[in-house]
Amino acid sequence: MTIFKFALKRSFSNTTNIIFLTLFPIACIFLPNGEEWPFLPYGYQYFGLLILFVGIRLATIILEDREKGVVKRLAVAPISHFQYLSQNLLAYSIILILQCIIVVYGGVLLGKELYQPGWLFILYGSFSFASLAIALAWISIYRNKDASFLVYMSLIFIIVVLGGLLIPIEIFPDLLKRVAVIFPTYWLAEGLKWIVFSEEILDFLLINGVLWLYTIVFVIVGSIRKIN
Amino acid sequence: MMIASMQGVVKRYGSQLVLDYIDLDIQEGEIIGLLGPNGAGKTTLIQTLTGITAFERGKVELFGQTENPFSNQNKEKIGLVTQEITVFEELTAKENLQFFAGVYGLKGEEKKKRVAEALEFVGLADKGGKMPTKFSGGMKRRLNIACALTHRPKLLIMDEPTVGIDPQSRNYILEAVKKLRDSGTTILYTTHYMEEVQSIATRVVIMDQGQIIKEGTVNELIQTVQHEEKVKMDVTDPESVPIHSLEKIAGVKKVIVSGSQITVISAVHSGNLDRIISIVKEYAGVLGIQADKPNLEDVFLTLTGKHLRDKGGE
Ligand SMILES: Nc1ncnc2c1ncn2[C@@H]1O[C@H](COP(=O)(O)OP(=O)(O)OP(=O)(O)O)[C@@H](O)[C@H]1O
Ligand SMILES: [Mg+2]
Repeated sequence: MTIFKFALKRSFSNTTNIIFLTLFPIACIFLPNGEEWPFLPYGYQYFGLLILFVGIRLATIILEDREKGVVKRLAVAPISHFQYLSQNLLAYSIILILQCIIVVYGGVLLGKELYQPGWLFILYGSFSFASLAIALAWISIYRNKDASFLVYMSLIFIIVVLGGLLIPIEIFPDLLKRVAVIFPTYWLAEGLKWIVFSEEILDFLLINGVLWLYTIVFVIVGSIRKIN
Repeated sequence: MMIASMQGVVKRYGSQLVLDYIDLDIQEGEIIGLLGPNGAGKTTLIQTLTGITAFERGKVELFGQTENPFSNQNKEKIGLVTQEITVFEELTAKENLQFFAGVYGLKGEEKKKRVAEALEFVGLADKGGKMPTKFSGGMKRRLNIACALTHRPKLLIMDEPTVGIDPQSRNYILEAVKKLRDSGTTILYTTHYMEEVQSIATRVVIMDQGQIIKEGTVNELIQTVQHEEKVKMDVTDPESVPIHSLEKIAGVKKVIVSGSQITVISAVHSGNLDRIISIVKEYAGVLGIQADKPNLEDVFLTLTGKHLRDKGGE
């Protein structure tokens, strides 16, 4: 489990990451409630954005290994690409899950009205995996981490807006509303609504199912071994 | 015992033929100096030999296995020092070594010992807790080497391990390589520096444009190419030296006088240096003598028409 151990260590090795991984989620808990929208406190609506950032920050470590040529060393070592990838992803998943726990149960401790914290935690979890998977697929098409990160940041802003996470989707024109379903952020926003207004459990399963579909597809795309 | 071999290996990048039917055998205990100009295909050869890149034709054999040469069992016996510095910049030198030791399955006390040993070996024992970003180029290079050593490979492949570093680090690395050789490690060593090959290689392989164009010991190579020996003398009074009596000495092919310098070219191994000098001394004062032995650089130049290093490069 050397790779796993060092993946954790490297995740916390620079200040930007430490801020993203610890301070920001804690800050999320303390953001105020909205008046009419969002239905959950602001921090819980925007936590999705943070999950997307954290996903790319973590996946970038894998890109760095390729950029620096460390993967060449790993390619001659008695360890498979699957072991390398799975141990890295496991470490990142644990970090993301811990964040979700902090945000959800920290809120509960502080007496925030989160309606159904258990389901909320599951929703964040599903979205975290989707975020990590998309980031993994994203970095696989890049050779330079700075370029990858910059373009992805812009992309994130587009999808959080168009997915209805930053502004309510109800105010969008019809066409945009219909396009929104292709963004994972749309499903997160739908899930957050479900948490507050809890209708059919089937709807919630569907929402998580879509997020898992994203996860599976993008993990497959992102796991192809690249050396150069 | 045969450690590794390549038979008829062909590799293309796009339409460019980068390895053109490579045949290479590496026997246990050898130190092979792999020489070639930029773009000759040295790194590609190494990458196909270690299974990093696929090749389209031919066979690679490692430790007697052709069916599955890149098995984990074989990989454990190979160490690769990459041409670029491939270490983690956010981890300390020691952590880097712990990482690679761990990847090679070392654990606990044994791992600790090997990590300390590797640091010591490259002269970074007191720098283990430092980040490589704080290292000089030479220290980074040494760490890059150490990362390939913790698992004590039987076959160590070093791709330009001394490129662009200070002479001190370079000597350190060369001495380390000699120590490894003495402890029985087989080494494939790529470099642009002739002197390094001349001082450590038991066999030299010269590559150009994807082909191995010559191989042999340093002396063999020099002999196959150079058939002449040159003696240059600076003398006080060149006109008074009887050229015809120099020309009559056995083995002498040509005598050239230019300015105060007399150059005598003889067939190789004619052993006539003493006679030449004594004749010249009878008629004039000898201020300086320079016996030019051909070196690998001449061999390389003759074979490829290229200098080993781009002028001004590195
Ligand atoms: N990943 C790649 N994609 C395309 N072409 C490549 C790739 N790697 C190497 N080449 C080409 O293959 C040829 C051989 O490259 P290689 O790196 O093996 O040479 P080398 O002998 O190691 O050179 P150097 O001394 O500069 O390290 C070069 O022409 C190079 O441009
Ligand atoms: Mg090279």
